Amino acid sequence: MKQIFLNIWRVTQRELGRMMLRPLYLFASIGVMGLCTFFFLSIMKRGAPERMPVAVVDKDQSSISRRLCHETNATQSVEIVLVTPNFADARLAMQQGEVFGILEIPDGFYADIASFKQPTLHFYVNNAYTVGANTAYKQLLTMCNLTSGAFQREVLRKKGLPDHLIMERIQPIAISAHLIANPWGNYAIYLVSTILPGILAIIVLMISIFAIGFELKMKTSNQWLDTAGGNYTVAMIGKLLPYTVLFLVLGIGCNVILFRFLHFPVAGSSGRMMLAIMLLVFAMESMAITIIGALPTLRDAISIGALYGMLGFSLSGFTYPVMNMLPVFKAWTWLIPLRHYYKIYVNEALMDGPVENTVIPMLCLTGFFLFTLLVSRRLHDAMIYNNYPLK
Amino acid sequence: MITRFLNSKWIKVQETWGVFVNELRRIFRDPGVVVIFFVATLAYPILYNFIYWKDNVENVPVAVVDMSHSQESRAFLHKWNASPDITITHYCTSMAEAEQLMRAQKIHGIIYFPTDFAECLNTGMKSAHISLYCDMSSFLYMKAVYLSCNRVMLEDMSRIQVDRYQAMGMDKQFSWMLVQAAPYTETALFCESGGYASFLIPAVLMLILHQTLFFGICMLGGTAREESNELFLLPGRRRGYSVLRIAVGRSAAYFLIYFALSAVVLLGVPRLFSLPHIGDPIAILKFIVPYLLAVIFFSMSISVFTRNRESGMVVLISSSLIFLFIAGVSWPQQMLPDAWRYLSYFFPYTWGVHGFLHINSMGATLETTAKEYIALWILAGGYFLLTCLHLAIGGYFHDRQINAAYLRSRRQARLAAE
Repeated sequence: MKQIFLNIWRVTQRELGRMMLRPLYLFASIGVMGLCTFFFLSIMKRGAPERMPVAVVDKDQSSISRRLCHETNATQSVEIVLVTPNFADARLAMQQGEVFGILEIPDGFYADIASFKQPTLHFYVNNAYTVGANTAYKQLLTMCNLTSGAFQREVLRKKGLPDHLIMERIQPIAISAHLIANPWGNYAIYLVSTILPGILAIIVLMISIFAIGFELKMKTSNQWLDTAGGNYTVAMIGKLLPYTVLFLVLGIGCNVILFRFLHFPVAGSSGRMMLAIMLLVFAMESMAITIIGALPTLRDAISIGALYGMLGFSLSGFTYPVMNMLPVFKAWTWLIPLRHYYKIYVNEALMDGPVENTVIPMLCLTGFFLFTLLVSRRLHDAMIYNNYPLK
Repeated sequence: MITRFLNSKWIKVQETWGVFVNELRRIFRDPGVVVIFFVATLAYPILYNFIYWKDNVENVPVAVVDMSHSQESRAFLHKWNASPDITITHYCTSMAEAEQLMRAQKIHGIIYFPTDFAECLNTGMKSAHISLYCDMSSFLYMKAVYLSCNRVMLEDMSRIQVDRYQAMGMDKQFSWMLVQAAPYTETALFCESGGYASFLIPAVLMLILHQTLFFGICMLGGTAREESNELFLLPGRRRGYSVLRIAVGRSAAYFLIYFALSAVVLLGVPRLFSLPHIGDPIAILKFIVPYLLAVIFFSMSISVFTRNRESGMVVLISSSLIFLFIAGVSWPQQMLPDAWRYLSYFFPYTWGVHGFLHINSMGATLETTAKEYIALWILAGGYFLLTCLHLAIGGYFHDRQINAAYLRSRRQARLAAE
């Protein structure tokens, strides 16, 4: 027993030496993770999109159309960057990506509205840029509704109605929307809390594949096994131990930054979020062993690992819901550790839901370990005989 | 005259041709690169289209808590349920019950009618309130639930307003003109469906071309470094290098392959999967020339630093997300802090993706996309010079190493002889 621990420690010592010789490991883990954390948090610092550029086609050029412009501009979410009497100009600006929405005020708007001729406002959005378009859409829709409302208020005032009675006539129904767990509609909370664990997951996958595959490629795997006393399990544990410590520190550090320092909402237990990211690291290491075991040639394993890793973002369903995917992809999502992590995140951080919604994904994450058993024989043989093309 | 020019010291067409042919041979003899260049480039777009098959989120399950039990609330729900965005799956008797369902992720929205809902509507003394609770785990749920409910509410509102004005003694036509004092139309000018796939996939297509080229070139560079000869040398010679011929010859090989691949991917995929494709195909083909050149030289200037064929992939794999976000596609460019925005101007993807979206999804012409087009030519030129510089420096050190090794072996031979 003591011998086993000693062997693990010897393999770990050997691995630490190898890590120091190749700056790649530290750069690809700490460097990339640090850069991504800084990058994503700084670009979404303001949370929700503000002052999205829109154009106004003012064919009327009256006092009332200018007031409409002024009030649109006074809102937080949009900013008028172009006022032109010509629709073609505004359309060109939209085609060049300079504005996300256009509000068109028809000719004779002021005169028509005053004489009850119901002039029609038009607004246009550019869905090719979805975030900007959604923000512009909501605001322009509100402005168009308010225009009729403001006119009604004027008429009713002239008829002598008191203000509190006017209000319920203009707005007989009101919707109050409550955004659960993210009342600000903050994109950082929505995206970053899954993107960063996703990036960590890819880093874990690629570095683990590389660390094992490089031994095979350089034909040093026999020396590695000898250090471990010929024991495959000891060799694996000893080798991955220093990386695992590094990944766990990065994962926990990432969640501490998000949930403790930046106060991203955690409705349930932040301890279970820490456990979740640790299990994510173990699951990705298991997938790394499985991939390099199935394809014991470094170059193939790295390519397949990259393809598999990148799909994780789409298949985790944090932007586009899994509910809407085709059945074959719904099945595929079970093989994506990030998907299970995301389920735990929704249940723990956002919903504080029933405990089984955390436990089942956690069991799934643990279950990824079983895949490594399928390839252990094959990988062990590859380490001994180097019987795969090495280039 | 022409022959003399072509064989002049700087051009040497034959040698450039040799580099070009040799590079093509290297690409096709390397299964890893073939997989990345051809399989990934063609398979990924198809895979992504199948993942985002439904484009729009449909039939989001929602729960109803109707405390008013009225004709009015039922009419509202009936209309709401008819919209394709949502499906009412649960009728709950209390908020607590609906909340449980939301926590368990069985539903993604709750609509709540207070007890006085119908009373407010009928007496007209107060505004009637509806509360809507949206699951924010995916913003697409929120969009589907909120916007569809809002639409029903706006329709209903006009009808109720007309009723009230009539009750005040106005005639029907007048009250309608008052309520609809300024009616409006809403139009999605581009990407009419407003779906997720038609927004994201065109951008992802450009990213796939970028990243497969980037990784493939880094892999080839790494392999050449491992075999320690071909990156800085003309093929078939042990020593001596010519930066210009290597840069031109190698990039021509990549360009030839990728021009064909881009044409298939950028023109074929949007048509095959009915994504937006209102642009002029010729304009797209013209636009990708500087894009591909910029990406090729960008990748070549970085590939010089990859020491072996796999390491580039390990470090650069996360760059895909950074390129996507810094370009201002998933997140509006206007919201980027200045420093990141200026940095993004140095990446070919930033210009490439906007230009492609403008032409392909919004029907812009090459003239109206001039800003992006010119920027890409500038980047292509800049990265070409950088590639030459890197090759020259790398070649210089490489040469010194070989010289040193040669001298060392001579010295050892002399010592051995003595």
